Amino acid sequence: MISVLNSALDDISRTMKLRRVWIALAHEDIGDQHRRTTLGPLWLLVNYLAFAGTFVFVFQPIGKDAAGYGAYVAIGLMVWFYLMEIISLSVPLFKREESFIEGTTLPLFVYVMRLTVQSVIRAGYAVVGCIIILLISGPSLTPAWLWSLAGLLLILLTTPALITVFAFLGAFFPDSEFIVGNLMRVGMFFTPVFWVYNGQDAIQRYSYLWNPFSYFLDVARIPILGGEFPSNAFAITGATALVTWTIALLLLGSYRRQVVFLI
Amino acid sequence: MVSIKLDNVSLIYKLHEKLTLSAPDRRLGATGGRIEGSGRKQFVQALDGVGFELKAGDRLGLVGPNGAGKTTLLKVLYGIYEPSGGSVAIEGKVDALFNINIGFRREATGRRNIVLRGLINGWSEAEIEEKMEGIIAFSELGDFIDLPFKAYSQGMAARLAFSVATALDPEILLMDEWIGAGDASFQEKAKKRMDELAEKAGIIVLASHSESLIQSVCTKRLTLKGGRVESLTAVPVKPAEAASASP
Ligand SMILES: Nc1ncnc2c1ncn2[C@@H]1O[C@H](COP(=O)(O)OP(=O)(O)OP(=O)(O)O)[C@@H](O)[C@H]1O
Ligand SMILES: [Mg+2]
Repeated sequence: MISVLNSALDDISRTMKLRRVWIALAHEDIGDQHRRTTLGPLWLLVNYLAFAGTFVFVFQPIGKDAAGYGAYVAIGLMVWFYLMEIISLSVPLFKREESFIEGTTLPLFVYVMRLTVQSVIRAGYAVVGCIIILLISGPSLTPAWLWSLAGLLLILLTTPALITVFAFLGAFFPDSEFIVGNLMRVGMFFTPVFWVYNGQDAIQRYSYLWNPFSYFLDVARIPILGGEFPSNAFAITGATALVTWTIALLLLGSYRRQVVFLI
Repeated sequence: MVSIKLDNVSLIYKLHEKLTLSAPDRRLGATGGRIEGSGRKQFVQALDGVGFELKAGDRLGLVGPNGAGKTTLLKVLYGIYEPSGGSVAIEGKVDALFNINIGFRREATGRRNIVLRGLINGWSEAEIEEKMEGIIAFSELGDFIDLPFKAYSQGMAARLAFSVATALDPEILLMDEWIGAGDASFQEKAKKRMDELAEKAGIIVLASHSESLIQSVCTKRLTLKGGRVESLTAVPVKPAEAASASP
């Protein structure tokens, strides 16, 4: 157990020394994806705004809730897209990095951080879009917004662990790429991204209460929309983060040298 | 002190899927390692009880038929594969040239690729800056260095890869059958650089099917067959080579 953790921490600390490698690679990745387009990564902002705009337009409730709904969807989509992207890209991560893994001795966590940085940069464009929508739909700026920032930070801290866990899942069970892909697509409807849970006693109740993603959304959303500190959501998200990190470290420590034989 | 010591190293590739659905055909051939086990538990014994020792200045040529385990052995030496059994002890800074394209990004320019490769190899920004012009000059790529890597021919890519890999004076250089892509003048140049490296008390391990390359670069020859060491001998200096080397 101790040696497993040491092995994982060794991989992570070597990765941190190599941070210029994954930061540079992540920038290359973003550049490559948009190299031949005119708008470049601004497409990410356009995509986000188009999506959020559509949801607001189609699902906006009538009456005085209308303004709040724009902000609700804006934050929900921002966090959800981020989670969906990191999870669905991390399942095939090691396979995608095959040539590096089989050709260099970089620590495995480098690839995790490369995807983390890449996703954070891409999410940055959604954050800009989200701020635009918040400014337009106008919940007033309060100190409680800082709690949302803390919530986003918590999600950010969980990211490398989530990526690690799903990347190992994908390495051991290649089929999981399709299973997870489908689940994430369906998951959007089982997570209060664009629908609002207010105590209905239907299927929504379970998909709100028993879905860890609900709380990931809440830590970012409730402070801005409700102006309060969602202690329950923070506790559950924090616990999820701890559990995910524990699993991630155990997987990394036990199997990092095996990955090259699996892909 | 630069050295390599392998003791009874074995390496097994587990196959997680069936190799084939048809009945296995167990002809004994010279090609490949040994396929063992059955059903979902099949595996390839790629290295089996490999042991040898190299010291500073040694230049080892790895030879053997396709699938004998040469690439696998190089990857064990580099630290990519953890051996399934036995022990590996290596002293010295190792650099390797396997697949030319590894670590190169097709869309990025040659210059940018040098930076990335340098970072991957753990060089500091200052070292990269300092070595840059030397690498470009050695590769003789000229203005092509500012074109994207995808616009390079195989030989040009090989030039770049070799120039980068040898730029920071690795103490141990591992090479896998790549040099053939460079033209005659570059091969000559590369050979000279390998000589320098070996003279600075480095170790070179080169896997190749080219007898003349082995003869001109290496001082020892390790013959692998089916994952086992068949022989480890000194490479005799060809009389013709020795004569032409000192005109
Ligand atoms: N990723 C892998 N999975 C399963 N078996 C493998 C894998 N890589 C190599 N092998 C097997 O291991 C054995 C040794 O392969 P290796 O690539 O080391 O041979 P080699 O001596 O480099 O051959 P060549 O001269 O063709 O380059 C072969 O039988 C090969 O089939
Ligand atoms: Mg080979």
